[in-house]
Amino acid sequence: MLPPDFINAGRIARGLEIASKKRLLETLARLLATDHPGLEPDAVFERLLERERLGSTGLGHGIALPHARIKAIPQSLGAFVSLTQGVDYDAADGEPVDLAFALLVPETATEEHLQLLAELAGRFNDPELRRRLRQADNAAAILNLFGVA
Amino acid sequence: MKIVILGAGQVGTSVAESLVSEANEITVIDTDLVRLARLQDRLDLRTVVGNAALPSILELAGTGDADMLIAVTQSDQTNLCACRTAATLYKTPTKIARLRSTDYARYPQLLEAKNFAVDFSICPEQIITDYIVKLMAFPEALQVLEFADGLLSLVAVRAIPGGKLVGCPVSDLRRHIPSVEVRIAAIYRGDQPTIPDGETLIEAGDEVFFLAATRDIRQVLSELRRRDRPTRRILIAGGGNIGERLASATQDRYQVKLVEADERRARNLGATLKHTLVLVGDAADENLLSAESIEEMDCFLALTNDDENNILSALLAKGMGARRVLALINRRAYADLMQADRIDIAISPAQVSIGSLLAHVRQGDVAAVHSLRRGAAEALELVVHGDKNTSKVVGRRVDQLDLPHGVTLGAIMRGSAPVAGVADRRRVLIAHHDTVIEAEDHVILFVISKDLVRKVERYFQVSLGFF
Repeated sequence: MLPPDFINAGRIARGLEIASKKRLLETLARLLATDHPGLEPDAVFERLLERERLGSTGLGHGIALPHARIKAIPQSLGAFVSLTQGVDYDAADGEPVDLAFALLVPETATEEHLQLLAELAGRFNDPELRRRLRQADNAAAILNLFGVA
Repeated sequence: MKIVILGAGQVGTSVAESLVSEANEITVIDTDLVRLARLQDRLDLRTVVGNAALPSILELAGTGDADMLIAVTQSDQTNLCACRTAATLYKTPTKIARLRSTDYARYPQLLEAKNFAVDFSICPEQIITDYIVKLMAFPEALQVLEFADGLLSLVAVRAIPGGKLVGCPVSDLRRHIPSVEVRIAAIYRGDQPTIPDGETLIEAGDEVFFLAATRDIRQVLSELRRRDRPTRRILIAGGGNIGERLASATQDRYQVKLVEADERRARNLGATLKHTLVLVGDAADENLLSAESIEEMDCFLALTNDDENNILSALLAKGMGARRVLALINRRAYADLMQADRIDIAISPAQVSIGSLLAHVRQGDVAAVHSLRRGAAEALELVVHGDKNTSKVVGRRVDQLDLPHGVTLGAIMRGSAPVAGVADRRRVLIAHHDTVIEAEDHVILFVISKDLVRKVERYFQVSLGFF
């Protein structure tokens, strides 16, 4: 189960035409900051980049799970983007990424947050889910696939 | 990575050359169409003709998608303007500017994010000057490269007959100087590299790379060759940017003479360099060299921007009895011809300065990179992150690491960076097989072939679970 308010339609964008990892992270940062007045998109972007520099969050099979700790949020936040064409992401299997789920957690990240990341990674391991996410044509359908009504 | 390089001059070209082979997408901007065409003939990259400081040209070069902007045109102003423009319009993650004028170094706040937004500034002329200064301090060495904020040094030295350790196995080093910790990272015999073990014999003529605490390197050097006379008198040929910087950095330590061909330039230098004897003339003129007692010089440095002139004057100076001659040689083919033959040290300006740029381009937390053996090999300082679960390195002993063959983990700097008012607690460790790596360690790696660098970077990266 994903925590309540973890992801909503406002933080989902599908079928975007984006040509680079940099733009993808920029887009995710903007989505994550949408309904959080305390979050600066630029600051989120920078945190995601910093984490990415220490090791790519590309999972393989076209999936990436960029994530970072950040002050100014009381609970975890997620955002999801699907692209019409994959971007080079320096992933373990070298495949371009077209599905990205970004995750922000509070500064004092705990075991709980690690589990959330593991839960997401586990779900994306399912080829059927990946196929349906790529086909989904609106945010509600995507929320549904994540089990959020 | 997508990288936009501004300026196809010497620096821009050598950056492009060394990055193009590393699976990067590179676009080079320059105003000179011919230069770009020549570059594109040789390398697989995109080019854009135009003024690199203009938003429309940056847009055309795809800066919006770029991870990094490397502004290395001849003009400081263009480089600064491009960084600011890229930051405002594209939020470009990493912006590097070449700044030659020392003025900007005096006002570091100008480079902050809210001003010119330069993340890293580099000055190749200063890097080359520092490199030469160190070589003069250690006349026995071919190269002296610093890691860990100067606490550790990697030294290249040619073993010569008469050195105490020459003809002995590497393991004898420990017996000879038991109080000094040192690691021989590689030995080159001709062009053939060897990663030595204790049994490897050091032969006369070998080029030996060793890692040691900077305070110990003099002692190690004396094991590999007889101690040279320390440097006292030097003659610099060429009063350009590097010649001037070098004279200014060394004139209080050595007796410095500087020969400059241009009379007006020479007069200016004479006025600013208080303790340097500035002469007008041609350093390739034997009468001048003889009049300046070239045979008494400990070091002759040919630093003009003309390769042929540097080679000729250096050969002449050597022939006339200068103890050690050093020449800046840009063209690689010339440098290959000259090194180790009659010019003691041929310095490729591009090779020396590229490392400081590579450190920012590499994946992972890279603190320093030095390009070695004309770019064939590399030495890296990486900062280790993560824990036993998220890193393949943390909590492991050196002999448990699965590093590719040809990679040596030679040394470690441990301890957090010093803060004002607290004593520096950082320690330098020479790595042994049972040394355990800790998080936040700086590890120094010698990589025998540049092709292995990517693999090494990946190995040290944190895994997904790292927050």
